Amino acid sequence: MCTAMATSPSYFISETWSSFRRNWVMSLVAVSIIYISLLLVGAFFLMSSVVNEMASSFESKVSVQVFLKDDAVPADVQALQASIRKMPNVKSISYVTKEQALAIFKERTKNTPQLVEQLRNNPLPASIEVALVSPREVQGVVNLIVKDPLTAKVVKTPANLGTAKDTDIKYGQNVVEALFAATGVVRVLAAGFLGLLLIVSLVLIGNTIRLAIYSRRREIGIMRLVGASNWFIRTPFLLEGVLQALIGSILAILTLVAAQAVIVPWLQGNLKFLPVNIGGVTVAQLAALLVVAGVGIGLIGSGSAVRRYLKV
Amino acid sequence: MISMKGVSKVYVPDKPAALCDVDCEIAQGEFVFIVGHSGSGKSTFIRLLLRELVPTSGTIIVAGQDIIAMKNRRIPYLRRNIGCVFQDFKLLPNKTSYENVAYALEVIGKSRHVIATQVPEVLRLVGLEEKTDSYPDELSGGEQQRVSIARAFVNRPPLLLADEPTGNLDPATSLGIMSLLNRINKTGTTVLVATHDREMVDSMRKRVIALENGKIIRDQSRGVYGYGD
Repeated sequence: MCTAMATSPSYFISETWSSFRRNWVMSLVAVSIIYISLLLVGAFFLMSSVVNEMASSFESKVSVQVFLKDDAVPADVQALQASIRKMPNVKSISYVTKEQALAIFKERTKNTPQLVEQLRNNPLPASIEVALVSPREVQGVVNLIVKDPLTAKVVKTPANLGTAKDTDIKYGQNVVEALFAATGVVRVLAAGFLGLLLIVSLVLIGNTIRLAIYSRRREIGIMRLVGASNWFIRTPFLLEGVLQALIGSILAILTLVAAQAVIVPWLQGNLKFLPVNIGGVTVAQLAALLVVAGVGIGLIGSGSAVRRYLKV
Repeated sequence: MISMKGVSKVYVPDKPAALCDVDCEIAQGEFVFIVGHSGSGKSTFIRLLLRELVPTSGTIIVAGQDIIAMKNRRIPYLRRNIGCVFQDFKLLPNKTSYENVAYALEVIGKSRHVIATQVPEVLRLVGLEEKTDSYPDELSGGEQQRVSIARAFVNRPPLLLADEPTGNLDPATSLGIMSLLNRINKTGTTVLVATHDREMVDSMRKRVIALENGKIIRDQSRGVYGYGD
């Protein structure tokens, strides 16, 4: 009865290792399948996180600009800034003077300097720039600004505020919806593909492990006939599944980290207009995802496969 | 040691039974041959005792335990008291002779020290002290069968079952296997051998239970294989 206690963990460890070694062809197949599947999952995970970052950086460019008339009373302007700063969903605000606006314009048009040279005075208005916590809810902030009585005092054409003809408050009215629709689709697609890929690779890994155990079903039957209890038979198989999954997933993580170290700087160098970024957190998340998914499927796959052949 | 009462086994309903209403008593320390043509029910007989199969009806008592009512998780403990030897040896292909024999002891949780003393001893008993590190596919049929007997006997079970142990072996090798089983019997172990090896049965003069179409047609001590059939 208590014979189970007498079997030391070292027995199972050496048993697992020797069986891993002696069935090296099957072990190799299992490890490679796990490696390749998890590599694909990981690569796609990284790509989708790059795409996500890009989408976020496009979204974060959505901001609200309130253009001020040249003769606005500075006290009113400051009061409006204070008021906007207190509105919900406002991350930060900044005040752009006429001179700064001209400098930005000059910088943007430096390839055609004659545009600026023709100007006799500075036609650009000063503005208040409002950055948002959640760019999706830009309309709410705009509504609050329009309703603020101070706004009417500082803009050029108060009559048009909040109408389609409004030229004093700009937030990319036409672009915003299309942008969010596009980034939404990209995000859903990426998540969908990642999910599919994850399922496919889990099934593939599970099947490989089952196959490896199927090839040894006779052994399991013999072990039963010699009087081995189920857990005694199962433990080395489970540990072997976990060992294969661990090796496969660690190899996949190493490959991804190495590839990322090469590819991301290259992308950043070649695609300057795109914000290519992978956070350190993402890589840690990825490693955790791969190891947990790998080991989980190793356990479940070998456990369920052994179960079938234990019924002797 | 073994008591069977009214045991029948039907594999496929509406087909003739593999075993039909078999009664049989085997005392401790006996050496018994079970003989009969293929399909007469010899293997079914052995597999029922191992609880590899459950009979359709009847009761089977092995070593004082009702093995029909036995819970599934108790089966391993039953099998640790029964050594078994098969026609196809059933050795673990990825383990050496030594490891195959040691496995039977590891299963019951024996310490490494006990294993290291008992395994070489039993391998010497079966005459394989030279082949301890060979894998099954490096051994001849007779050697493999001796490994399997060593495995069956290493934990000194009270009962040893052998299903056609010489079925795949030439006559000289068979003789060696049989005398090995005989020696094991002399240590007090009950030995049950299913076989259709006429020469062997006739030369050894042990108790013979003859099966035909699932029924016991003859049970005699110091018997022979049959009367010219």
